[in-house]
Amino acid sequence: MNLVESLLTGLDEARRHWGQTLLSLLGLILGTGSIVTVLALFGGQTALTEQFLNEVGGRGTIVVYDREPSAHPGARELASKRLTFHDAQFLRDRATALMAVSPGWAKQLSYRVGNVSFDGQVIGTVPDYMTINDIKPLVGRYLSDLDVRQQARVAVLGWKYADSLFGRATAALGQVVSIGEKSYRVVGVLEREEFYFAAWEDNALEYRNERAYIPISAAIAQYSANDRLDFLTLKARAGAGGAGAQAQVRSLLYARHGVEDFDIRASGQGAGQDSGQFLMLFNFIFLVVGVVSLVTGGIVIANILLASVVERVREFGTRMALGATAGGIFAHVLAEVLVITAIGGLLGLGLGAALTGIVAQAMQMPAVVSPFIATISLATAVSVGLIAGLFPALRAARLSPVEALRYA
Amino acid sequence: MSLIEARGLAKTYRLGQVDVQALRGADVDVAAGEYIAITGPSGSGKSTLMHILGCLDSPTAGSYRLDGEDVGTLSGKRLAYVRNRKVGFVFQTFNLMPRLTVEENVALPLKYRGGVPRGERRVRALKLLERLGLSDRIGHRPDELSGGERQRVAIARALVGEPAILMADEPTGNLDSKAGSEVMKTFAELHAAGHTIVLVTHDPGVAARAERMIQMSDGLVV
Repeated sequence: MNLVESLLTGLDEARRHWGQTLLSLLGLILGTGSIVTVLALFGGQTALTEQFLNEVGGRGTIVVYDREPSAHPGARELASKRLTFHDAQFLRDRATALMAVSPGWAKQLSYRVGNVSFDGQVIGTVPDYMTINDIKPLVGRYLSDLDVRQQARVAVLGWKYADSLFGRATAALGQVVSIGEKSYRVVGVLEREEFYFAAWEDNALEYRNERAYIPISAAIAQYSANDRLDFLTLKARAGAGGAGAQAQVRSLLYARHGVEDFDIRASGQGAGQDSGQFLMLFNFIFLVVGVVSLVTGGIVIANILLASVVERVREFGTRMALGATAGGIFAHVLAEVLVITAIGGLLGLGLGAALTGIVAQAMQMPAVVSPFIATISLATAVSVGLIAGLFPALRAARLSPVEALRYA
Repeated sequence: MSLIEARGLAKTYRLGQVDVQALRGADVDVAAGEYIAITGPSGSGKSTLMHILGCLDSPTAGSYRLDGEDVGTLSGKRLAYVRNRKVGFVFQTFNLMPRLTVEENVALPLKYRGGVPRGERRVRALKLLERLGLSDRIGHRPDELSGGERQRVAIARALVGEPAILMADEPTGNLDSKAGSEVMKTFAELHAAGHTIVLVTHDPGVAARAERMIQMSDGLVV
């Protein structure tokens, strides 16, 4: 009897005692289902993070921050001019991995219109910042090169601030706002930006609605005594890759500063961390449940097979008397297990898909059972079956015909 | 040439600390076409002898040639081949596969033989079932048959591979007298058709129907 026939015989056996087969499959089904759900939720979360990164400018967006001075700065640190306009120019000239460089200046200042006032963030920057971060005006325009050159006292307001200061975001256009006791004309209001990692999470992009952009030249002229920057926003070339560009920027800036008094991060890094932690816990629990069910399922299958082997020892003896080889018996039992676990895996996949749908619905999270996930979980189920079935199969194959026939 | 040529067959079992000598040097010769009954009281070693002759068990001493092949020296795989080709074995308890149909049961040895197409397996199984008067039972499961019918299915299964020798271990032991005599009639017909048959029985009436009797006592042929 060849392998195909053994497989067919195994399938036939599984078909002929369905009740027992389904029972032995329960653990396997639950285990596979749990694993599918975990992977789907995890995959959904990864996709969401990717989406968020695109929202904040894509994978190639890099931010260089001025690092807080150390408590006891060394000579090199004291000698460094820190992050300046010249660094921006230097990177434009030398960093071949970059396609755009935008200097940034940030400060907490008081906003005031009539009797509404509060403290909030002001960003001094250049037009490139808008393209790098994919920011769009709702009404009006964004900062222009001319604004920067003329140190124009113009501001582009984030949606939230425009709304708070003028009662209605679009009403802000053309009005005057006092920022840090200086008057600015509002030339644009930005679209409201929203991104939710999960239904219970706050808007991860709300910080972008709570700020105003002014020309960096005006910012430095009005509020600073030097040309120090707070950050640089950089965009890597499409082919360069974020990590490579980061490395190049780090070495160029280090060469200029003589000390690492800056931090380089991919844009959006660390965002959604709270929800990430919660999901990690959630996924972990599901994963543990999945593994425990799979192991239990494997033990149950092995046990039932052992029992059924004992029940069927005489049958195997007869089969050997009719000419079955030890290998044939081994293949027979193993094929039966394989068929059973493949069926269990498929049913588990169905359960997992259903569970994923329910959880995703209930928690308002994206989750998709991809072909990759399906393959992984099926392979896991079948592996468990193989391991569980090996011992009973070996045991069945080792019997001599007369031993098997005498088995009472 | 003898179909079976066994010299000094011995079999010792170890039951805990005690060695039990089931066979103590039995010589057996069977020529082609013979119909032989091995008889003897219970514990005389006739079943052990039968298992060795049927290649289901190996002797601890002695030599055994079956159809010209020295069975004592064969590997497990070759033994399976011999069991499949040369021996048709009928059990006291029928030993049919409960989940297979009558036809599937009969075709099973051909399935283990390999290389026999499904269609041919079916044709050969149906032919034998017809010969044994079981044509109306091909789709049934064993538990839907009477004892006599089950044993005749088992005989059909033993014959489907066209073995050199048909062996039966107490074939009427689990049957009532009517079914038993039906089965014995089948054996007589098969013998008349030229089959070589060896059966084990403790029933003198059954043994008397055979052509020749091998009497066993205390692990020896007497």
